[in-house]
Amino acid sequence: MSQVQSKAACPECSGRLEAGEETFCSDCGLVVAEDYLDRGPEWRSFSDDSENRERTGAPLTRARHDRGLSTEIGRSRDLSSKKRRRLARMRRQHNRARISSKADRNRVYAFTEIRRLVSSLGLPQSIRDQACVLFESAQSADLLRGRSLEGFAAASVYAVCRTAAVSRTVGEIADVARASEAELKAAYDALNRELGLPTGPIDPAEYIGRFASQLDVPKTVEARAREFVTEGRERGLINGRNPSGFATTCLYAAAIEADHDLTQREAADVAGVTPVTLRTAYYDLIEE
Amino acid sequence: MNRADRREVSRQYFSKERLAEHHFRSFNAFLDYGMQEVVTEKETIDTDIGDKEGQEPVWVELGDVRVVTPRVREADGSEELLYPQEARLRNITYSAPVFMEMTIVRGGEEEEEHVVDTAETKIGRMPVMVGSRKCNIAGFSDEELVEIGEDPADPGGYFIVNGSERVLMTSEDLAPNKILAEYDSRYGDEIQVAKTFSQRRGYRALVLCERNREGLLEVSFPSVSGSINFVTIVRALGLESDEEIVHRVSDDPEVVKFMLENLEAADVQSEAEAIQTLGERVASGQGRQYQLKRANYVIDRYLLPHLHEEGIDDEDVRINKAYYLCRMAEACFELALNRRQPDDKDHYANKRLKVSGDLMRDLFRTALNKLARDVKYQLERANMRNRRLSVNTVVRSDVLTERLEHPIATGNWVGGRSGVSQLVDRTDFMGVLSHLRRLRSPLSRSQPHFEARDLHATQWGRICPSETPEGPNCGLVKNFAQAMELSQNVGDEQELKRELSSMGVEGIADIEGVAHRTADD
Repeated sequence: MSQVQSKAACPECSGRLEAGEETFCSDCGLVVAEDYLDRGPEWRSFSDDSENRERTGAPLTRARHDRGLSTEIGRSRDLSSKKRRRLARMRRQHNRARISSKADRNRVYAFTEIRRLVSSLGLPQSIRDQACVLFESAQSADLLRGRSLEGFAAASVYAVCRTAAVSRTVGEIADVARASEAELKAAYDALNRELGLPTGPIDPAEYIGRFASQLDVPKTVEARAREFVTEGRERGLINGRNPSGFATTCLYAAAIEADHDLTQREAADVAGVTPVTLRTAYYDLIEE
Repeated sequence: MNRADRREVSRQYFSKERLAEHHFRSFNAFLDYGMQEVVTEKETIDTDIGDKEGQEPVWVELGDVRVVTPRVREADGSEELLYPQEARLRNITYSAPVFMEMTIVRGGEEEEEHVVDTAETKIGRMPVMVGSRKCNIAGFSDEELVEIGEDPADPGGYFIVNGSERVLMTSEDLAPNKILAEYDSRYGDEIQVAKTFSQRRGYRALVLCERNREGLLEVSFPSVSGSINFVTIVRALGLESDEEIVHRVSDDPEVVKFMLENLEAADVQSEAEAIQTLGERVASGQGRQYQLKRANYVIDRYLLPHLHEEGIDDEDVRINKAYYLCRMAEACFELALNRRQPDDKDHYANKRLKVSGDLMRDLFRTALNKLARDVKYQLERANMRNRRLSVNTVVRSDVLTERLEHPIATGNWVGGRSGVSQLVDRTDFMGVLSHLRRLRSPLSRSQPHFEARDLHATQWGRICPSETPEGPNCGLVKNFAQAMELSQNVGDEQELKRELSSMGVEGIADIEGVAHRTADD
């Protein structure tokens, strides 16, 4: 089949093509291209500012239980009080009917929780969408039975962060989540086991940037810490170690090297590990 | 003064970044105390928890609000200072985190009130004006500015939202809280109307007092459909006797004559009767008890709200409202008797300019209300699911952020106004300066409004007489005169009143304990 078709000829009968909303052959009537976009001029008048220029609503999103395809009954000032009351009743019924099942209701709750988590952790929008999708798959795989909704919301965010290489520690998520750490872990284990999440070990380098800004160390120290991580990976030091602990160890080592004031306790605290963990990793790292 | 001298004076005048000075002053005032005032007005977030039997009520107390300087948070969680040029190049928003102290309190019914959790939490991000006090480049020398990629000659005074520079158009509104007398026509007859846009805390209520064709006074205000007899409403406000009403309106014999006609036509004689009549109007078909409650609520909430003051009982303000209505009545009668001319709406004394800080304040107020609604919802959900209530887990910071950024990005302000924020005109340097010093009248450009477009004598020294666009916006879009100085809001009204009374301004006689009202505001 030829890739480029002549605009003027019909592919069946070589007749004349006519372009409008759809391109069709004027001889045999074959529809060559469908284009729902109206490319004609805009006939509506906007000169008095009152008309809304929009033709469409917001794009579809997986981050809403109805994918953003909701209907709302609006309000108007110039209605009789009788009609206004009727609309208020309709609105109430509509709001009740909007969520049809218990699963739907749970999804609404979990999605707002995910949204809250994502905003307070300062994560990008794409993480939110993916976390919502993950939650939905967990729900359809019937993983939620007997486990907490809040835990699953937090675990979805945790899992998506991990797969998107912007890892957060369990502690960081549990701090802002409504779920306890145990709930989060139980939910994450279930997700990982049943859905086969594509997660490997966390790269300690993912933590460096955040810890560095929390510890307020200079850029040079941060860059050196990244080198330490690479070195540690080559020497196999990260195997079997807590990645966040190793990340903060590298920062600590880089800070010591640059004579930057940083105590083991401070460094250990941002990663949620004990100074002992940091110390043993540190000695392994600097030992040549 | 010859030309060289004048040039020297101008040069001196503009040597210290005075071009966008009005934007800076206004926005800095908003950051310094405007935001805190909005939060203090809000005071608490109440929840429905505790409505059920055997449950203790829960509410949130709002404390100090604090803005830091703009910073950016990367996907990996690291946070660093953001400079305007980086925001422009990366198409991100030049905004600073806002923190607020919040305290969740439970109890009050059977248990004692106790604090469940208290914390300062991040409630969202506030777009920051380039060059304002909270801007990261504030106080930088020219060399430092060049170092971070900033133009030392750039006047600032705009916001950066999603990488585009947006300036908030100064808008020229009719002065609130002032009596304006004018003629109107009803079914072909000329009538006299006294108008007041009463404004307090972002709530704006138009109160009308009109003298109808029979010479009777009628008052109308929001939440009451149609109008109410003047005598009824002042009696409801506690000004009962005929003599007092007449005396409060005017001592002029001809006005007294008009007033007596009104009193004769009055159908209520006492305060209680008047409130009842009002109740029948605002809650017709409801129970008597409810009607009284509703009437009192309407009086305290919707009638002349600007007369209310912090720390003064609603009951005490009522008599002030009655006096204010009497002054409006006087204005109507004087107009009818040709004792005065109708007020000139285009006179610059009757105009107020809303600069970026005032606009941001309106925005912040609605954003905070939205946040409060969300916190209420989150608290109720968390409580229903038996979760521990903590400040950190009930605040969704993107709610406030979105409400603040979206209007600046699109220009669709709260209250349905559009085109409030505009893309900074970077055609050339003069274009930027002119754009920052531009102001817009909210009047529709599709209607003639000849008087509003005309150059008014009071614009002398304030508005440039020649710089205005041609076409439909002619005379509605104006520009500041070169050396115009914009006086800003009085921060503390109580202070102003004390100052005025120390200078010998007397309050209304025979009401003691009630704070003195200034002449106009």
